[in-house]
Formats: sequence, C-alpha cells, structure tokens
Amino acid sequence: MSPAIGLAAHARTHTTRVTAALFRVFVFSWLVVGMAEVAAAQRGGPPAGPPPTPRASAPIDITGNWVSVVTEDWRWRMLTPRKGDYASVPLSVEGRKLADSWDPAKAAADGCKPYGAAAIMRIPGRLRIAWENDTTLKIDTDAGQQTRRLVFDKAVTPSAERSWQGHTAADWERIPQPGGQGVSIQQAAPRVGSLKAVTTNLLPGYLRKNGVAYSEETTVTEYFDRLAVEGGDWLTVFTIVDDPRYLSQQFITSTHFKREADAAAWNPTPCGGR
Amino acid sequence: MRRVSRIAGPLLAVVTMAIGRPAVAQIDLSGEWAGTFYEDLPHRGGMQLGDYTGLPLNEAGWRKAQSWDEAVVATHERQCIPHIATYALRGPASIRFVKVIEPDSGRLVAYNLMGSYGRPRMIWMDGRPHPSDLAPHTWTGFSTGRWEKNTLVVSTTHIKMGWLQRNGAPTSDLTTMTENFIRHGDYLMAATILTDPVFLSEPFIRTTNFALNLSRNADAWGSCGPQQTVDELPNAKLGYVPHHLPDDVAHVQEFVTKNAVPPDGARGGSETLYPQYIQTLQQLARNESDPRNRVAQGPPRTENPRRMPPAPASGEISVLKVQGSVYLLAGAGGNIAVQVGDDGVLLVDAGTAGMTDKVLAAVRQLSDKPIRFILNTHAHPDHIGGNERLASAGSRGAGGRPSDNPGPGAMVMAHEAVLHAISAPTGKVSPMPVAAWPTDTYAGESKDVSSNGEAVQLLHQPAAHTDGDSIVFFRRSDVVVTGDIFDFTSYPVIDAARGGRFTGVIDALNRVIELTVARDWQEGGTMVIPGQGRIADESDVVEYRDMVTIIRDRIQAMIKKGMTLEQVQAAKPTYEYDGRYGSTTGSWTTAMFVGAAYRDLSKR
Repeated sequence: MSPAIGLAAHARTHTTRVTAALFRVFVFSWLVVGMAEVAAAQRGGPPAGPPPTPRASAPIDITGNWVSVVTEDWRWRMLTPRKGDYASVPLSVEGRKLADSWDPAKAAADGCKPYGAAAIMRIPGRLRIAWENDTTLKIDTDAGQQTRRLVFDKAVTPSAERSWQGHTAADWERIPQPGGQGVSIQQAAPRVGSLKAVTTNLLPGYLRKNGVAYSEETTVTEYFDRLAVEGGDWLTVFTIVDDPRYLSQQFITSTHFKREADAAAWNPTPCGGR
Repeated sequence: MRRVSRIAGPLLAVVTMAIGRPAVAQIDLSGEWAGTFYEDLPHRGGMQLGDYTGLPLNEAGWRKAQSWDEAVVATHERQCIPHIATYALRGPASIRFVKVIEPDSGRLVAYNLMGSYGRPRMIWMDGRPHPSDLAPHTWTGFSTGRWEKNTLVVSTTHIKMGWLQRNGAPTSDLTTMTENFIRHGDYLMAATILTDPVFLSEPFIRTTNFALNLSRNADAWGSCGPQQTVDELPNAKLGYVPHHLPDDVAHVQEFVTKNAVPPDGARGGSETLYPQYIQTLQQLARNESDPRNRVAQGPPRTENPRRMPPAPASGEISVLKVQGSVYLLAGAGGNIAVQVGDDGVLLVDAGTAGMTDKVLAAVRQLSDKPIRFILNTHAHPDHIGGNERLASAGSRGAGGRPSDNPGPGAMVMAHEAVLHAISAPTGKVSPMPVAAWPTDTYAGESKDVSSNGEAVQLLHQPAAHTDGDSIVFFRRSDVVVTGDIFDFTSYPVIDAARGGRFTGVIDALNRVIELTVARDWQEGGTMVIPGQGRIADESDVVEYRDMVTIIRDRIQAMIKKGMTLEQVQAAKPTYEYDGRYGSTTGSWTTAMFVGAAYRDLSKR
C-alpha cells in the first residue's frame, strides 16, 4: 500500500465512522424527540409533572361578559315567528307535524322549552362566562336565567334526571397530526384553538319559540372560538344539533357575541319573559 | 471520536430544533365546501324588498336600500356583475379553496377561493402589501391572509361599491372586510366582519357555514361579457336608472305586512341588533299608531357628514400604471395622465403651478424622452397651472415629420373655450400668462392626435363641468381621461360662470359610459382616470352616473311640486350620498351642488 493510498483509505474509514456516528445521533434524536412529542401529544401536556388543569391549559379565554348581536335569522329570533314558519330548519315529517300543532294561544305555558341547550345560544341575550373551578366553565344567560356547565372532567357523568341544559362534556379541540401514532419527521405539537362541547341528557325543548321542537334524543355539539379583530372582540359558537326524531338531518348554525366591558346591561329575565 | 463529538453536539441541537419546532403548518382548508343553509335562508337568494332586518345600516344605508329598484340589475351595465366579495360566501352554492404553492419550496403563496356565482379570489399568504389607495377596485377586492392559531384571518380592501344582500342593502367602496376561517373537522365556519363608514353604523358580523363536499366541484359560472347582455328593459335608453323616489314606499310594504315585522325593525340599524330591542318590539306591538310602525320615510332624522377621507396632502406625487402606455400621476392638484413611448411624453393636464418640479421628476421616472404634448381637459388652475413650465421643459416635433413643426416647447392643446377662459382681449389682463395658454385649439366636436403610435382623441363635451371640457380617449391603451366631469371625490362641480351645467354633466357621464367597454364580469376593460380620485372603470362611472341621475330625478320631482330651493335643500335630496361625496365646507359644498342642479333643472 502506497502512503497515498493508505491515507485515502484511512480518510475513507474515518469518514465512514463519522457518517455512521452522525446517523446514529440523528436516529436517536429523531426517536427521542419524536416519541416525546407523541407522548406529550397523547397526554395533552408537557412530559413531566401532573398535567395542567383545563383551566390552566386553556388555549383561548372565553370568560367575560358577552352580548348576542342578532345579524342573522333576525325575525325568527327577535320576534316569535308565526305558526308553521320553520324556514331553514330541516324538520322531519314528525317534527313538522309537531310544529304545526303548536298553539300560539298556549305559548305562555311553554315555559323554558325555548331556552334549552339546543337553542339557548340563539336567544337574544347576554352571557356571563367564568370558571366555576379548574375543570368546569359556567355559562349564565340573562335570557331565561339558565346556567350551563361545560365539564372537562371526564369522570363526571350525567345525572339521572334530564334537564334543559343537560350534561355537557367539554374539551379543547385538537387538530389531528400527520404520522398518526407513529413517529414522523413532520411530527408537530398538537394544535388547539377551539373549545368543543357535547351536550346530552336533555329535556325536549324548542329550537324556535313557535314550537319547532327537538326531542330528548338530541345531541348538541358546539365549538366556541374567540376572534379578536380590529374594532371588536367576538365569541362565535358553531352549533350542530342532531335529533334523529324531529330533524331529517343535522341542524347547523353559528352564533356570534360581542364582548362587553362589564355586566352593566345584564338583565335577568325568566323563561318566557322576552 | 472527539471530532465526532464536536460535530455531534451542534448537530443534535439542530436536529432537535428541526424535529421539535413549534407547528407553523396550516390547517388544510383546500377542497370543495358546500354551503349549509340553516340560517337566513330568505336572505341568501333573491329576497324581498324592504327586508333589512339584522343589518347595522345607518340612515344613509337604509335610505339607499329603500330607493333601490330591482329593475336596475337588468340594465346592460349590470347584467354581468358577479357576486361581490362582501356577499360571495352567502350565495346559494359551494365554494372551493385551492392552495397555490411555489413548486420549488413548497411554500404556500396563496389560496384561491371561489365563491358562489363570484369570481375566484386570491388570498395572498406571502406577505405582500395591499395596493395604493389610488388603485382600481374590483368585485373580489384585494385579499391577504395570515394564520392565527387555528384561524385563517383574511383582510380584504379595494372592493367596489356593492351590496350586503340582494335587495339593495348597500356597501361603499370604502368597505373593508376581515374574514376568519375556522375548520372544525369536516365543517368550515367563516366569520365575516365588514366595516363601512358610509353605510354602516357599526361593524357587521355574520357567520357562514360549510360542509366538506367530496362528491362535486364548486360550480363554474362560465363567462359573461358585454356581448352577452340583452335588452331586458324594452325602450330603456342609455342613462335610464331605475330607482324609487323617497315618497314611493309601496314596494317595501309587502314585507312588513306579510311577515308582521314592524317597519322600524325591518329597516335594520345598530339598535335593532341587541337584546334590549325586544322591549321596543313589544311596545310597537302594543301601540299600532306609533310612527315607527309606518313605512313612510319622512325627512332624514340625522346628519350624514362626509366619511370619505381627504386625499393625503403629502406634497408628493404618486405614480401608478393604469394600462397600456398610460400612467396616473396623482397629488399635483387634478389628476395627470401620462402616455410614454418612443416619440416622447404626452400629458393630459398639468396639475397646479406649484407642483411642476415634482411632476417633472415623476415624469422622468417613466421616460427620459421630451414632453411633446399637453392636452388640457378644461381651464381650471388645478389642471392647467403647470402648463407653462411643463411645456417649456418639452419640445415638439416627433419623428422629424414636417407637419410636427419642430421647435422648443411642447404643443398644448385644448378646446377653444379653454383659451377663451384663460386669455383676454388685447389691452386686458388675462387670468393666465400667455406661455400657459394652449398653443393649438379645436372648435369642433373632436380633435385627433397621434402620439407614440397610438390614436388619441379629444372629445368635446359641451356645457358640463365647464363649456370647454374635453374627454381624452387613448384608443390603443384603452384609457379614458375625463377631467372634472367625473370627480370621484366629490359631487360634480358645476362651474356655471364658465358655461357648466348640471344636466350636461349627466350627458358627459353617459358619454363616458358609451366610450368604455368592460371586460368579462363588468370589470376592467376600458380604464378611467377621473379628474380627482382613484383609478376607475366603467362600473364605477355607472355608480357615479346613477347617483347624479337619482339626485336629478328627486330634485325634478320636488320642483314639480313647487318647492323652493331652500325647501329642496332642507329635504336633503342627496342625503345617502353625502358621506361619500358631500361637503359642508370648502369651495364646493353639497348645498352649492344642489343649488346648481335646482337652477339648471328649473330652466327646463
């Protein structure tokens, strides 16, 4: 072996060793970081210590005072629509029959039926949202004086009795990531932004005050988002009402609220008061 | 191995950062999305006149909406108008998000958003700025986007005058729009917030929902060009503008009667949007004689101050390409059009005398050739004040043609009435120095000029802004320069002392509409440089012409009733336009405009 050839061979051997070492470092880093992220993603928090409470890990803050701004469905929300006016609501045959049987003369006896969880966000009014504890967000409405509890603690189960506001299981929405449960070079931390709430265990109620009904089989899925735009601070609620009985398909609406500085305009009114 | 360690440490850090960096990737919005129509269904197609419920219209917006006649969409100038950006997401169809990717980097440059019966809208994601305030407006506007958490936030400006919904509820060209697109699984919510200082009393928010649609494409709407319009209004001549006079409210009665909505609520307005308005509705239901239960308009209840911001008085010249070989120079008084080419420079108007150095510097940015022609649209100092110095900086005689009469100084051309206005008989003092006078005038209906291989026409428009107005038409560049017969910042100024007439301005605007030919979807095509204000196209001139025509009809109706000028001015026949064009101070107020119109129409 000439010195030159020997030097070249040594260099090749050295380069191979370096490359192999670098490759091991790369794979090791990839696995460690990637798996740590997957683990973190699955847990929904940092890798060490107890997971933060839903309150502490809230990606958006929707607490405060909010007023509904009725720019959509105005004449079905600000006024009690006429009997048989169920425009936009995908009623089933049974649901239509029930709506047609509504008697305006007896509307006073409907009580809190129009103020149940499937419709309360559409009632013109004000919301007061606050954390009741680290795992429960409370929404009070002045219209109908209702209280909704959005429960993040999955150990809490629905009560035995149905109610106007039912049981609401809440979570921060997570956007699916590439790579599934495996490890991907593109793996990224889960993206969150919305508050997702699923409500069941409801008493039957009205989607609209003129007897457009939903049944006790109804599930309400909602997404709460906050939009901070120049000249305004908005809360939007995207609502999907599933009722296999009185609806022929999902009833989807989105409702918006404007932030108010305080509760000065809070005007508690019992069901049927507006 | 020590060397390996030295390399491995930093490498580990780099790899760790690369793998573990915070997510900046966007949520994918691309695909076909079908509208879900569970809200506002009657508002999302052809809808009833008089239903402005839920809209924060100010009094001007409501009055303009109520004067709207649906026949107007049948006029030739409006048949091809697509859904404007402020409405496109509400229309009855699907939408499509398409990613526009830079091939080499994979970087998202833009989204292309197709709205229902609208035009594809580019949402630029590459950080580019919005255009100048002087740039043309379009039906889609100009949109830029950014991601904030799970939300695509889109800002849109440069939207034409349009509508909130299809029953005349208006938007002005000062409208800006912010959209928030949020994906929830297979659903998409678009929260749209519109701000319009002219017709809205507060930001207007609405949320529109879509469901991912894997089974079809968003509808394509083909094309609609001027050749496809038809005579839907028999016997309607150019200049016919369908509208309802303020006293005519029969068309809005049906909605309130049929749906048992009090007229006060049907009008919309900020106060009607909030929960406490339910008490007002209850009062109105109890008291039928409450005047708020009547659809009659009555006189305007509030003032409508100007909302159009004044042009920035920076003392600087803005230069914008219009199209072809024509540019706009703005900021020197009246607008100046510049045509550049191998022969030299042609100017339409010269701005004020005090701005000529800056005008010259701006011209030099475009061409180092001499100024050969200055064409004057009329005789006012903000348009011809720069004649003397700009002409002396140029020279005539392009191409060595004998007919060009080579020599120092540019040729200054205008209608002879301009010369009469700025000169004086021998022995008298003329308002302008001789060196500023036109060197060449024409007395007929038109004058042709050949400049830089392009046909340029001066078209005399008698008795409009003045008696010596010329419209300048660049035939190859397809640009019309109007002078002050079209002042996009103000009601038309009528210089009656120099032979101007209100009715002549309407004739002149109709002539501009005759000259212009829009491209598909009633947009672009022939571009228009107004005497003041931003670059326009035919549809902008149509809006302006409609405004002046509607005011004419109102004042004429008042004259027929025997109303005096003072009574007409008190009735505010221009009310809903005052926020955009009006003024209570300065050299041309709304009262002066109404006075000029009244006097002219009283002569007929």
